[in-house]
Amino acid sequence: MEKSEQGLEPGSNPEPVQLRRPLNLVATLAICSGGWLIPGLSHMLLGKWIRGLIFAACVILMFVLGLGMHGKLFNLVFEEPLQIFAFIANVGVGAPYLLAERMNLGVGTMTATTYDYGTTYLWVAGLLNYLIILDAFDIAKGRKP
Amino acid sequence: MTLSHFEALAVFALLVATVFALITKNTPREQFRYGVFVFVSFLFVALAVGWIMYPLPL
Repeated sequence: MEKSEQGLEPGSNPEPVQLRRPLNLVATLAICSGGWLIPGLSHMLLGKWIRGLIFAACVILMFVLGLGMHGKLFNLVFEEPLQIFAFIANVGVGAPYLLAERMNLGVGTMTATTYDYGTTYLWVAGLLNYLIILDAFDIAKGRKP
Repeated sequence: MTLSHFEALAVFALLVATVFALITKNTPREQFRYGVFVFVSFLFVALAVGWIMYPLPL
């Protein structure tokens, strides 16, 4: 691909990217913890309201759809080592997972045609929230705008 | 809730593409273009793999 004199690709933004001043580790971890507990909260705390709201909507909608499709939420069961990975994926969504567990949702109906999709939705909702937290960590540390 | 396989796939692709686009790109224009690319890629790859598996005796 042809590049300009500055080494930029055609159509790319030549303006310098504005990075924020890095926060200290305690503040960063507090923000990330908030983002784990409530999806999107970390970006809202960093002042990125719209992005945070979109993240919250995506993760929570995916989680609710997963429950609606009779997906299964996994607990931490040491007798079943492979379930630990499923648990880690599930717990990534934070408070909604804890709430659903408390309300005895996410039992998982294997006879339902949407069971596999529902379970996958529940896993991916948690995994997406981990990615969102990592993104917030980078923003808080001033590595990306 | 009863969604068809394709509807479930499309909703899944839409939500994941939205998050991926917002995480990886910085400007709204880049985010939109990348989001559409990821969404279409999800659908295309799923349909392609589905057709590839169609003749398999599973």
